[in-house]
Amino acid sequence: MSDQPMARPVPKPTAWSQPYWDAAREERLVIQHCNQCATRIMNPKQYCPRCLSDDLGWSESDGRGTVYSFSIQKRSPASPFVGKGPYVVAIVRLDSGVQMLSNIVGERAFDVHCGDAVKVAFEPIPGTDITLPVFELVG
Amino acid sequence: MKTTAAIVGTGEVPTGNYPNRTEAEAAVTACRQAILDAGLSPRDIEAVMPVGVVMGSRHFNTDLIFSRLCEELGMLRSVKLNAQVMAGGASGSATLKVACALVASGAVRNVLVVHSDKFGSTTMQQGIDLFATLGISEEWEAPYGHNANTAVALITQRYMHETGTTEEELAAVAVSMRQWGALNPNAMFRKPITVEDVMRGDHVCTPLRPKTMSLWADGASAYIVARAEDAPHITPTPVYVRGMASLVTHYSVSQESNLAFLAFPEVAKEAYAQAGLAPRDIHVAEFYDAYSVMPLLAMDAMNLCEGERAGSFIAAGHTLPGGKLPMTTTGGAIAQGHTGAGVGVSLVVESARQLMDKAGDRQVKDAVNAAESGSGGTWMDSHISILSREAR
Ligand SMILES: [Zn+2]
Repeated sequence: MSDQPMARPVPKPTAWSQPYWDAAREERLVIQHCNQCATRIMNPKQYCPRCLSDDLGWSESDGRGTVYSFSIQKRSPASPFVGKGPYVVAIVRLDSGVQMLSNIVGERAFDVHCGDAVKVAFEPIPGTDITLPVFELVG
Repeated sequence: MKTTAAIVGTGEVPTGNYPNRTEAEAAVTACRQAILDAGLSPRDIEAVMPVGVVMGSRHFNTDLIFSRLCEELGMLRSVKLNAQVMAGGASGSATLKVACALVASGAVRNVLVVHSDKFGSTTMQQGIDLFATLGISEEWEAPYGHNANTAVALITQRYMHETGTTEEELAAVAVSMRQWGALNPNAMFRKPITVEDVMRGDHVCTPLRPKTMSLWADGASAYIVARAEDAPHITPTPVYVRGMASLVTHYSVSQESNLAFLAFPEVAKEAYAQAGLAPRDIHVAEFYDAYSVMPLLAMDAMNLCEGERAGSFIAAGHTLPGGKLPMTTTGGAIAQGHTGAGVGVSLVVESARQLMDKAGDRQVKDAVNAAESGSGGTWMDSHISILSREAR
């Protein structure tokens, strides 16, 4: 394996995930759904994981949810994240029912607990046209 | 469920940092031991099932796929099937399931399973970087700084939240592992540690401290599965496979719907039903670790802690040598060393060794039934197997 510094991993949108990243760049969180069986889909997919339909759409999310679990990466992250910590990795359960991996950011991020209420925020990755949906504690 | 398969022989080379031992040499040595342990000759073997290599050379992995072991060990024109199976950390349980199905179907009379990999010269950062890609979604997880450590940290945090398990109890799992490692001549870490030793290590990612995690190692292990009806004619100590239950629950850990327990509760129930056994019948638990939370999930799911939480049961010392329920008697990845997909294979090997009365200083007296667990990727699947000296 190479000891070269690794570039920060940046999402490479696919034909079926492009609308998600386009919305994120406009600071909107959208969730994929199936127009045939109404299943909400996360992470975005080519076909509905329930009925395999390709008739999929997108709906706006209010970006509210709760922390299902979290970890504060304090040291020894992967190379692209060396010197960027500590940072909080979390699984957020959106009120609409889907789950997603994200970061908890903001002043109170390190006070996070399982079950805490969060709302979406947006962080552009410098030097790219990608904006990551992240979350902040609320209340 | 009528028993159709049994383990009849095992082999293993010491786990640790062996810069001058090639992956191939270790694989051949482990296979030879397993064949001799079973009392078979190479031309008796009808299938070879090598597990995938994670860190060793690509050339070695293609050698495994392309029947090198059949040539090295004198099995040409007698082996009918040489095919790789790879399920990451679940490879022990997964190869057992596939091998048992092959012999039960009549396709072959027996299967030689082998794993060999080489991590000893891997730097910590290389290992972290590799494991930031294994079972981690490139588009949906890696951009957030997620990696294998945070994946299990998310499981651990949720497990603690739902059960009240403490960090000291997680540390007690590592203490138990190291005590078993001290008795295992094939283990990398043979010095016992205390809960205080574990708690002195600063968090890598909360709530994980270094000694509740594992270190890379070189290692190889092998075992042979035969038809149950043949097994007592092959060896005086056949180990019958009575239950094998498993379920895949996610690829991305963020999509796991039961983060605290994965599918261990469901598969534990199914494995008991297949085996016709109950928690009181399990004498030794060979549960997959890699990190200290994983055996806790399996202990709870298998209901092996007499109504207690697994954390408090382990902290009370019940899984130590001489305890009520010896657990992961190799010392697991935490003490024996993390050989990649081989951790699970070595636990299948140890389950069989315990029930064959061949576990040396680690021997659990009068052990008749053993439970084994496995999970691969970022804990994508939950496997429980039940093995026994007695067929059903
Ligand atoms: Zn659908």
